[in-house]
Amino acid sequence: MSSNLYTGKEKKMRFAFELLASGIAVGALYGLMAMAFALTYKATGLLNFAQGELGMLIAYLAWSLSTALGSNTLALIAGTLVSSVFLGYVVERFIMRRMLGQPVFSAVLVTVGIGLIISSTVLLVWGGEPKEVIVPYAKDIISIGGVRMRQSQLAVVLVLLAALIATSLFFKYSRFGVAMRAVAIDQRTARLMGISPERVQAVAWVLSSFLAGLAGVFFAVTFELSPTLFGLGLKSFPATVVGGLDAVVGSGGSGIFIGVIENLVGGYGSTELKEVAGFLIILIILMVRPFGLFGETRVERV
Amino acid sequence: MRSGYFKERFVQQLDLTDSLAERVWFAAVFVVLITLPAYASPYLLGHMTTILYTLVAALGLNVLTGFTGLVSLGNVAFLILGAYGYAIGSTRLGLHPLLAFALAGFVPAVAGLVVGFPALRLKGLYLAITTLAFVYVVHSAILTGGDFTGGARGIMVARPDVFGINFSSDRALYWLCFAVAMFSLFCVINIRRSRLGRSFMAIRDNDTAAVSMGISLTTYKLLAFTISSFFVGLSGGLMVLFINFANIEGFPFLLSIEALAIVIVGGLGSTLGAVLGTVFIMTLPEITNQLLSSASATIGQQLTTGALEIKGILYGSAIVAFLLLDPRGLVGLWIDLKRWWVNRPIRY
Repeated sequence: MSSNLYTGKEKKMRFAFELLASGIAVGALYGLMAMAFALTYKATGLLNFAQGELGMLIAYLAWSLSTALGSNTLALIAGTLVSSVFLGYVVERFIMRRMLGQPVFSAVLVTVGIGLIISSTVLLVWGGEPKEVIVPYAKDIISIGGVRMRQSQLAVVLVLLAALIATSLFFKYSRFGVAMRAVAIDQRTARLMGISPERVQAVAWVLSSFLAGLAGVFFAVTFELSPTLFGLGLKSFPATVVGGLDAVVGSGGSGIFIGVIENLVGGYGSTELKEVAGFLIILIILMVRPFGLFGETRVERV
Repeated sequence: MRSGYFKERFVQQLDLTDSLAERVWFAAVFVVLITLPAYASPYLLGHMTTILYTLVAALGLNVLTGFTGLVSLGNVAFLILGAYGYAIGSTRLGLHPLLAFALAGFVPAVAGLVVGFPALRLKGLYLAITTLAFVYVVHSAILTGGDFTGGARGIMVARPDVFGINFSSDRALYWLCFAVAMFSLFCVINIRRSRLGRSFMAIRDNDTAAVSMGISLTTYKLLAFTISSFFVGLSGGLMVLFINFANIEGFPFLLSIEALAIVIVGGLGSTLGAVLGTVFIMTLPEITNQLLSSASATIGQQLTTGALEIKGILYGSAIVAFLLLDPRGLVGLWIDLKRWWVNRPIRY
C-alpha cells in the first residue's frame, strides 16, 4: 500500500491514528510500571525508586535463561515469573523488612541505593551493548482498522487490561486485598485486627516486582534489551503521579494517558520535548492537584 | 579527669567550636591543607581538589536534606546550572571571571526558588519526584539550547587570570577550591547555630509545631532551597574550572546519588558529617581500585573499563549499609570513638 494513494487529509488522519496507537502501546508499559509503584506505595507508604532497575534485572535474567535454552519462549515466561517473585521477596525480606518502622525518608533512600547497585551490576555483568529478545511472531505487524501495530504491543495492552481488572477485583473482593487496604489506612489498627503488616509488605513487593518484570520483559521484546531499560521506571513516574501514588488502578490507566500525550508531543512538536513531556506534566499536576487525579486527598493542617 | 564537653549555659549553644582541643585540631588540619601543594604528589593534589569542590556541594545539600529534611534528587541539575552559569558567563557573555563565578552561584539559587515553589505544597516523596523531573528538564534545556549552551558538544572553559593570579596551575586551583570550601564551611556552621538553622531543623522535626511557633514554612523552605542551590552551583562552577570543559555527559544522574550518599554516610544534618562523608565517599572508589588491581592484573584491566559501575555498586552499598546498620552515619561512629577514648577503661 503506497502512501500516495491517500489524499493529504487522510494522510494526516492516519498519522494521528498511528501516533495514538503507538502511544497506547508505550503507555501500557508505563501503566504496568506505574501500577507496580502504586502497589508498593499503597501497602508500605513508600516509593520504590529501584522499581525500574528491578524490571530491568528481571528482563536480563529471563533473557539469559531463554537464550541458554535456545531462545525458548516458555523459558522466557518461566524466567520472568521465577526471577521476579524471587527478587521481590529477597529485597523485601532481607532489606526492606528491616526498614519497617524507620522514617519513610530513610526507607526511600535505601531503595535509591538498591537501584544503583542493580543498574551498576547489570552493566558490569551483561555489558552495555543491546541484546535482542527473540520471541516468535512478537515483532510481526498486524493491522487493526488500517492502524499498524506490532503483535507484542497489542499483547502489552491486553496484559495491562487484564492486570487492571485483576487488581481491582483483588482489592475489592479478596481477603488479602482488603487486608492490604487496611494496612495502608492504619498499620496499628490493622495489626490489632490480626493482619501482619510484614506479610502484606512481602506480598506487595512480590506482586509489584512481578508487574515491573512484565513491563521490563515486554519492553525488551518490543524494542531491545539494554542497560538503559531502567529508564522505564523514571518515565513511569508521571503516570503514577497523575494517577495518584495510592491509586493502583488509576495509575495503570494514567500510563496510557501519559503515553499518548508523549507521542502526540513527539509527533507534532519536537523529540526533545517528547522526552520531558511527562516530567512537565508532573510539575503541573503536582501544583494543581498534589495527590493526583485519582488519589485520596489527605487533609493536613499545616 | 574530664568526662566530656558539657554545655552549661544556653549561650554556649552559639559557640562556633566546642572546646580548645577542637580549635587546635581545626588549626592543625587547616595548616596541613593549606601547605598541601608544597609536598603532595600531583595525583593527591587532584584528588584533594575533587574532595574540596565536592564538599561545597555536599554542604549545600546538607542544608536542604540534613537541616530541613527535604529530599532532593535534583542535586545534579543545580551542578549543571552552576557549571553552565560559569561557562556561559565567561565565554558567551564575556563577563569578568569573578562575575561569571558569581553567576555560577546565583543562577542555581534563582532556579532553586523556582523548584522550591512547588515544594511548599509537596512533602517527602512528591518533592523527590519533582526534583527528579527538574533534572530531566534541565538536561533537555541544555541539549536544545543550540550554540548558546553548546548543545551536546559542550563548552570549553579556559582557567582565568584574576588580579594577577593565574589559575591555570593545579596548585592555584587547589587553593581556590580550598578557599571556597572554607567559606562554605564557615557559612553552613553559622547557619546551623543561628535562628535560620534552628528554624530549618524545627521544620524537619515537626512542621506543625514549627508553624505554631511562628516559623513561616513558605519563607524558610524557599530559603533552604535557595541557599542549598547556591552552594551546589558554586561547586559546579569549580568543577568546570577543574575539568576545563562543560559537557552534559560529565554530569550523570549518579552525581545526585553521590551527593545523597555523602550526606547519609557522613551523618544527616551534621557539618562534620558532610566533611567525613565527602572524604569517605570520594576516596572509597580509589582505594577499592587500588586494592583490586594490586590483587590481580586481569581484574585491574576490567576495572578501568567498569570504573563507573564499580563506583555505583560501592555508593549503593554504602547508602544501604549505613541506613540499615547505623543511620547516624560516620559522625555517629566518631562520637562513639570519642566516648570510648574519654571513658576508657570504663565501658560507656
